[in-house]
This record gives sequence, C-alpha cells and structure tokens, in this order.
Amino acid sequence: MVSQDFQGTDMTDEEQATSAEQGGAQAAPAAAAVDSAAASQTPVDSAAAAHEAAEDAGIENMATEQDKQLKRTGRMTLYVHRYMRNPGAVFGLVLLIVLTFFSIFGKYLTHWSYSDLDYMALGAPPSAQHWLGTTPGGSDLYAMICRGLGRSLSIGIISSIGNTIIAAIVGTAIAYFRGWFEKVGMWLLDMLLVVPSFLLIAMMVRGASGTSSWLWLVFGLTVFGWIGYARVLRTLTLSLRELEYVRAAQFMGVGSFRIIIRHLIPNLGSVLIINTVLGVVSAVNSETSLSFLGLGIKAPDTSLGTLLTDGQSVILTQPWVLVFPAIVLILLTFSMQLIGDGMRDAIDPYSRSGGKAE
Amino acid sequence: MIKYIIKRIVNYIVMLFVAVSMTYFLASAFMSPRSMYMMRHPIPPEASIDRQLTAANINDKTPVIQRYFTWLKNIFTQWNWGLAPDQSPVGPQIASRAASSVQLVTLATILGILLGVSIGVYTAIRQYQWQDRVLNSVATFLLVIPAAVMALLVVLAAIQINTASGTRIFYVTGLHSYQGSNPWLYFVDTLQHLILPTISMTIPGAVGYHLTQRTYLLDTINADYVRTARAKGLTLNKAIRRHALRTSLIPTAQSVAFSIASVFTGAVISESIYAVNGLGKYFVTAITMNDINGSVAIAAFSGVCTLVGALLADLFSVWLDPRIKLS
Repeated sequence: MVSQDFQGTDMTDEEQATSAEQGGAQAAPAAAAVDSAAASQTPVDSAAAAHEAAEDAGIENMATEQDKQLKRTGRMTLYVHRYMRNPGAVFGLVLLIVLTFFSIFGKYLTHWSYSDLDYMALGAPPSAQHWLGTTPGGSDLYAMICRGLGRSLSIGIISSIGNTIIAAIVGTAIAYFRGWFEKVGMWLLDMLLVVPSFLLIAMMVRGASGTSSWLWLVFGLTVFGWIGYARVLRTLTLSLRELEYVRAAQFMGVGSFRIIIRHLIPNLGSVLIINTVLGVVSAVNSETSLSFLGLGIKAPDTSLGTLLTDGQSVILTQPWVLVFPAIVLILLTFSMQLIGDGMRDAIDPYSRSGGKAE
Repeated sequence: MIKYIIKRIVNYIVMLFVAVSMTYFLASAFMSPRSMYMMRHPIPPEASIDRQLTAANINDKTPVIQRYFTWLKNIFTQWNWGLAPDQSPVGPQIASRAASSVQLVTLATILGILLGVSIGVYTAIRQYQWQDRVLNSVATFLLVIPAAVMALLVVLAAIQINTASGTRIFYVTGLHSYQGSNPWLYFVDTLQHLILPTISMTIPGAVGYHLTQRTYLLDTINADYVRTARAKGLTLNKAIRRHALRTSLIPTAQSVAFSIASVFTGAVISESIYAVNGLGKYFVTAITMNDINGSVAIAAFSGVCTLVGALLADLFSVWLDPRIKLS
C-alpha cells in the first residue's frame, strides 16, 4: 500500500505519543510528560508532539504556565492531522470526493440522460457526441456510468451503515447479557452463517420490480450482512464488559439498553467507523456481483454491475462498454480501501492485526 | 475425541436443519413460480397451472406449512428434494453439476493457498523492506477488485492475446471442446479451457492468504519461543520455519477448511462468465426461474459444505495446536 511508505514515521510518532500518554496516566505531572515527549522528538515534529502529549495527558485540567503557551489540539484535529500525514489516504479521499461529485453533478455536463436511447449511434465508440461511447442498445455510456456510480455508492454506504448499527447493538448485547442469552445468541449467529448470505439476498431481491429493486438490495444487504461482523464485535466486548464504569452503571441502576448504547458502543467507536468505511467496499462488491448475475439492479435502473453485464456481451466488438465501468468500479473500491486504511492508522494506531490490509 | 466430534456433528445437524427450513420459508415468501406460467404466451388455463404447481408442491394456494411438511417428508423418506416448476427433479441436477464445479475450483484453490502462504511468509520476513511494500501495495489493490471485474479483465486480456497471436491459445467458454480420443490432446484442451478461470480465481485467493498469513506470522515471529530457538543457535530461517511458521499456520488452516464452502459461492461469477455448467450457474438459473425447491436444495448443499468446513477447521486446530484440549 502507498501508505506503507509513511507507516514507519507514523509509528515512531505514535509510539512517542503512547509513552507520553502512559506517563500522564500514571499520575505523573502533566508538565513532565510534555517535557519528556518534546525532548525525545525531532525538532520538526516537536510542536505537534507537544500538542499531542498535552492533549493525551489531560493538561487542560491544570492551569499551569505551559497551558497558556500551548494551543490546545482537539481530538478531531489530531485525527485529521494524522490522517493528512498519509498521502495514500489523502489520495483516496480526493478520489472519493471526485467520484461523488461526478455521480451527483456529472449528469449536467451532458445532454443525454441515462434513459435516453440514441438510435443513430448503437454501440458507437467514444466520440465528441458520446464521450464514452454508447451501449449496443444506444444508451449514452457516460450518463449510464454517472447514474450507476450513484446507485452503487448509495447502496454501499447505506447498507454498510445499517450493518454497523445492527452488528453493534446485537454484538454488544450478546456479550453484555452473558449466560444463556449469550449461548443462544451465539448459536443463532452461527446458524445464520450456515447458508451463504449471497443466496438469501438473491432470493429476496429477485421478486422486486425494476425501480424499487435497489431499495430491496439495500434491505437484503443490510439484513444479512451484519452477522459475521456482530461475532467480531462480541469478542471485542468481552473485555469491555468487565470495566469498572460498566459495573458502576449497573449498580447505579442504569438500564441495560442504556448501558449498551451509552457505555459499550462508544468504546467501540473507532472500530465501528473503520469497519463502516471498509464495509462499503464489500457491500459494493456484493452489489456488483448480484447485479452482474441479473439478480440485483434491473433495467430501467442501472448500476455498475448491470453495466458490466452489458459489457460482457459485447466484449469482442465494443470493449469500451466493459472497460469504463470496470475502471470506475475499481477506483471506487480502491478509494474506499485507502480511506479505511488511512483512518485505521489515524484513529486506532495501536491495533496491529485489526484487518487484513495492514 | 470421538465424543467431542459426535457432539459437534449433532449440533451442526440441528443448525443445518433450522437454517435450511428458514431458507425454505424465505424462498416460499419471496419467489413466485406462478409468475413463470403467467409470462407464457398464451397464458395457460388456471386449472392447468394449479395442477402443475401442486405436482411440484409449490402451489401458493396450498398453505406454506403444509407444503413444508410434504417437502420434509419427501426428503426424509425418499431423499427426494422436489421438482422444479418444469417438473424436472432437483436432486440429480445438483449431483451432476457438482462435478463441474469441483473441477473448476480445485486447482485455483490449491494454487491460491500455495502462492498466498508463500508470499505471505516471504513478505513477513522482510517486513517494511521494499519487497514487502511493493507486494503489499499490489495485494491491496487486487483485493478490492470485484470478482466480476477481475474475471472480465482476464477474458479481455486473453482475447487480445488470441487476436495478436492469430491462434486460439485460450478458450473463454466451457471446460472441454476436444472430441477425439487422444489423451494428450484432451489434456492440452482441458488446460486451455481451465487456465483463464484458474487465473481469475487464484488471484483473489492468493491475495487474501498473503495478507492474512503475513499478519499471523508477524504476530508469532517475535514470540518468546522463537527467541529461545534463536538463542539456542538455530539460524533465523530455521527458527522461523520450525517454530514461528507452525503456529501461524493454524488460523490459515482454519480458513482453508472454511473455504470448502467456496466450492459453491466462490464460483458463481466465474461459472457465469466462463459458461461452465456448474452449481453456481444452476443457482442463478434456479433463482431466475423462480424454482423454490432448486434454490433451497442449493442452499442446503452449500450449508453442508460450510459445516463440513467448520468441522474440519475444529479438527485442524486440535491437530496443529498442542495448546488446545478437547473438552
């Protein structure tokens, strides 16, 4: 990955930030933590590191003289700084913004609509009239890609967010309630994983008609996509449920649901955000596969997967119908992956084996 | 040991039963075989449609519970998985197509594991050196390419090569086309057909195993027992091979066992692109034809594959990892 080039420097910064944080956590004077961090830092980064250390050591509670010299760095600012240090991640973000703008406003650049058919140019190669050529049916490929990208993007994002919400609630609840609830819950999750979800989604979406099929696809991807993820979150919650403040909340008589929502899930925040971003990649992949097989988005609507099917049938004579949607699709998934990896490095620097693409 | 396995198997059978029953109800709720008849031209008389649907036990006028019990009874008493809407039996179809799928997937799976694990070990030993960075960048890029795009781009490249060379080096459809009896030509012909699907299925597999194996090996490479081995005088390579690699292979072995299920799901896209008449293709046809019994039978088959994989994964980890005790 491109970000690997900078991982080395990131690591050292983060390690130093960690040591400063630990120093602060052991009730050492915050000023000392700042000093040690600043001393161990290279001159270039020393100001930023001092900010980090100050933030992490909780210096804001102490009205010392350093406080006036140091500008306080908020947590979000810190994440943004760390993220922006990673050129691969920035590239991914720019790519995604470009793609999103293209999918929303791209249709105003051409007078063709995705549903128009130009009978004078059936399967025409790219030209001034049709920028990316036309499909054998006479649709303008540029307009189709615009529309298809918007569909794939919205399906991916909505279902990934839905998956995260369901998985977070179910996964933490199973771990939190323990006992027979946990046993039954785990058994049910395992049972739901027996039949591949791909099959079940295809069955559900099959019956939907052309215009509403994308909503059914979102529904299917959300209903069956969260299961494996909930198991992972349950494992992570096993250690969270032992924390003192969770016990304290229980003894105070706070309701179980409230504990799950207010105390357990926010603790998984970074994991959830990263997995939501990476979940978009897999949701887009599933959407593409289903639509490609004719089991997802259907005409008159279009998605990148449907366009690939069109491209496959004319792979010999009109390769542009295949190549352009394929490129856009790869750019989309790759940008999401870069953003996800960048966010992992920025938000969750201590997780070493959090994912496959370290 | 025997007791443990039996307990596991019983649990898995119950799981399978519940999952398949759930699939049956889901399929009955969302698929409408009647619409297949309504699309015919001219539309057959309603009595005739009803008779055919009832014969296949998929008539939506019969209560779904009653259909479910008839279906169950047929499976348990006669091992009869029901009829498709066109009255052809489902069971034999699946059996004959499984062979094609296995033929298509086997080579790709084995190559994917071998390549992936060896690249993973190679890069883990050279963490953050240029080889590691280059291979990781490539892997991350390949990892996110959707299966359909990957296969179609492979086909596109193969067609370009065919055109450029003027001869037909690669076949892009089917598994065989040679009709004669010369075994050597038959072998070459099979290879010409298999090479493209194998490439397009090996790449995602290898990339996945590469990234996971790299992570696992990096997790164990700094463990105390590896340092002890080094301190006792083993060379770095030997210490890694004998001590670190063995532990890090446990999770990989588990995911290999689970990949048995991909005999079915992994090949759906490849089968439809390379026109191989396997299970994946049958599944797509069954869904498009509103074939309830066919889809459920496929779901059951893939469920069995998943659970056999899970059982193998359990046994693998017991066999490879001395720290795990059966209880």
